[in-house]
Amino acid sequence: MRLVVERFTHNALALLAVTTILFFMFRLMPGTPLAAFINENLNADQQQQMLEQFGLDRPMWQQYFIYLANLLQGEMGLSFFQRRPVTTILLEVLPNSVILTLSSLVIAYVFGVLAGAWLAWKRGSWIERVAVPAVLATRAAPEFWIGMVLLSLLSFNAGWFPSGGASSPGLAYTSNWQRMLSWDYIHHLALPVLTLALYLQGLPLLLMRSNMLEVMHEEFVTMARMKGFSEWRIVIHHAARNALLPVVTAFALGVGLSMGGNVVIETVFSWPGIGRLLVQAVSVHDYPLAQGAFLMIAMVLALMNFVADLLYIVLDPRVSHGRRG
Amino acid sequence: MKKLAIAVAAGLAALGLATTTLAQGPTEKVRKLNLYSWPQAALPQSYQAAQLIAQQWRQLGLDVEVKPLQRQAQTQLIWFSRDKWDTTMWRMVGRPERSDPDEFLYSLYHSSYAEKGYNFIGYLNKEYDALAEKQRTQLDREERRKTAFAMQEIINRDQPQAFLVHPKYALAFNKAVFKEDTVVNQSGIGIRNIWTFMNIQPLGAQKDLIINSNETINATNPLYIGGAVDSWITDLIWDRLMRIGPDGMPQPWAAEKVDWIDDKTIEIKLRAGMKWHDGQPVTIDDVIFSFEAPAGDKAPMYKPFVTDIAAMEKIGELGLRFRLKNVNTTFLTASLAKINLIPKHIWEPVLKDLAGKPETAEQLKSVPHVGSGPFKMVRWKPTEEILLDRFGDHFQAPKVERWIMRIVPNAEATLGMLKRGEINFLGMFGGDAEVLVKFSKENPDIAIKSEVDIGFEYVAFNNRRAPFNDVAFRRALSLVIDRRLMVSAAWQDYAIPANSHVSPVLSFWHDPKVDQLKTGVAEARKILQDAGYRLSGGKLYYPVGKRETLTTE
Repeated sequence: MRLVVERFTHNALALLAVTTILFFMFRLMPGTPLAAFINENLNADQQQQMLEQFGLDRPMWQQYFIYLANLLQGEMGLSFFQRRPVTTILLEVLPNSVILTLSSLVIAYVFGVLAGAWLAWKRGSWIERVAVPAVLATRAAPEFWIGMVLLSLLSFNAGWFPSGGASSPGLAYTSNWQRMLSWDYIHHLALPVLTLALYLQGLPLLLMRSNMLEVMHEEFVTMARMKGFSEWRIVIHHAARNALLPVVTAFALGVGLSMGGNVVIETVFSWPGIGRLLVQAVSVHDYPLAQGAFLMIAMVLALMNFVADLLYIVLDPRVSHGRRG
Repeated sequence: MKKLAIAVAAGLAALGLATTTLAQGPTEKVRKLNLYSWPQAALPQSYQAAQLIAQQWRQLGLDVEVKPLQRQAQTQLIWFSRDKWDTTMWRMVGRPERSDPDEFLYSLYHSSYAEKGYNFIGYLNKEYDALAEKQRTQLDREERRKTAFAMQEIINRDQPQAFLVHPKYALAFNKAVFKEDTVVNQSGIGIRNIWTFMNIQPLGAQKDLIINSNETINATNPLYIGGAVDSWITDLIWDRLMRIGPDGMPQPWAAEKVDWIDDKTIEIKLRAGMKWHDGQPVTIDDVIFSFEAPAGDKAPMYKPFVTDIAAMEKIGELGLRFRLKNVNTTFLTASLAKINLIPKHIWEPVLKDLAGKPETAEQLKSVPHVGSGPFKMVRWKPTEEILLDRFGDHFQAPKVERWIMRIVPNAEATLGMLKRGEINFLGMFGGDAEVLVKFSKENPDIAIKSEVDIGFEYVAFNNRRAPFNDVAFRRALSLVIDRRLMVSAAWQDYAIPANSHVSPVLSFWHDPKVDQLKTGVAEARKILQDAGYRLSGGKLYYPVGKRETLTTE
């Protein structure tokens, strides 16, 4: 329990640090949000009024404490441009990002783990000689390139998938759940997920493969062989279980990382997610929105980090035993 | 001996000082110039043009470096530190209300805008100021035109900056879905305009107009515009007393007629039978309310458009008289065609609720979307799409059932969508014009229409800083630029050469005389030579007596 509290505190402190860095980073960047409002109708008084409205006329330390106080109450402020609460804007697109990320990760990791284990088993064969370079190539190829190739082949030419967006023009749903469970949404989701999964599968696959190769030489595997278990049982029950540990961590961290790293996929497929929102907010100096988006990503990352820690405690007795010892 | 040593030391020190002064002191050579531009990835044409211009300036003996800056950084430098740069690439974009030349004629060069407004180049000319003010008071169009011509000739003479081109924008639609001749071209704007959206006629089962935008919609608020695309939407939902017509001139819209009674009085008559989207009738009190609402401090963006109104008087059921504080010929375009009509019964309580609070109507959490325009709001997801339904009770009800805008940040994907029917009207294309032309050749159902823009691209000179405060120097730098090369090499023929702030598409106001700009290296060199500039060792030197006092930023 102490360990859990300790890990939790670590993550909370990391979040506070992120919040602080974010706050000052945006304000120290060249340019102000006013630059995007250049308009001859906006005279000096109105510009001043606007600064006051945004609270940008106060000293920076004051702005910082106001920001922290608001944040503690779950208040992220109003977007400078959309003039709507940042929380509302983020929550509108968050489900799309979560679905895109989770489905890609699940596909990538299920495939990666199975294919990695299989490739380890096939070590030295021609399959390995073909598969490993292929995996490396998909991992090295830029996401936007994979995305554009898939779009061009499967959408523009074959016409099997839509070219962008999260649903067909003009379709209405009674709730977000109804929309996300609809065939139309899944149809729109397919290409972005495929692209992201193709990009992500390399890590679990290679990780699983190398862990398997290592584990296969461990004494307990030799022991299992000596006991006369079948090769399949050894791979699944003994080797794979142990080789999975680092992959589980990678998965948990992957959720956090790719949540904000989907900017490219979201742009290529016009997917309404948090990454696109973030890029746009940064480019127009919409501090509250950009900070909010970054913070949300950081929160997911910290949470998943915490989950990974917990998983480790559960899955690997050495972690908690080690501390006690 | 000691004295001698001191004297020698002092002598050497003095000599050293003198040498240093000679080396670091003012020279006559013109300093190195930085030409700022957007990065190639952001605006390839403009960046390419900057490179060509730098080459041509180097032929005059100048040391020039093209410096790309991100948009925000460029704005920060050029707009907010007005005395710290020499030259920059810049652009003015076309908007329907810029069809009246006032906005460019006045704000770009009037001295009152030099410190904070659009005259960021710091051009100061009393003669020009007087004409700019005069044209605002000339209700006689022919007279005003003469003034506009005179102003263009002054700018041609002084070349406070070098105009480059008026770009041509190519837009497209699917002619298998829509009847081609029902698409309306608006002067200087193109086919993406309210006239098209009301007139365009579906041919078959597809009754929805589906258009793209690569920008997110920030707000759909009749009292606040947060971005360019926002105004496409507010245009359709809220009516105005007048609208800028396809010819670029303001024409009566919600007002049946608009008359000047004298040079400070205008009378309008509201159309009978108009309705709000909630079914309530549009009354003259609503109109008065719409012009009163921005006058307070709750709609700062719209306030400047009503400050000229001294009083409004109701005349009968449908009539209204505006009394103005000053003679203002732009009132029709800048006020009557700009103020959105909003229902009093909905907005009065909203504005009352805001009274005394720091928030303005711009920050409303839920904006009432009831207008009287040809389309009514159904649904809006800022990063995905906006959906409007036709308003059947409108006096010019649209022929399409729904108007849907999809947010598509990927330019290539918009073409894929156009091909697959996911969109059927290309309202914005961020890619290469040639790609679009090739695309339409491969897809014969796609019709492309291009239109010369009201806006223009130019090189701004900082008139505050020598040698740009010298007309001869500015003229030489402008005349050495080959506009045809700009058009063909930088804009791939999707532009026409420019030498005026009034686009040739505004044919009534554009002075054709300024189009005859004689350019060339020889011409430019001669101007410099006549003004006393010297070329030595391939480098340009100031006329005798003038010295370099500034350093390159």
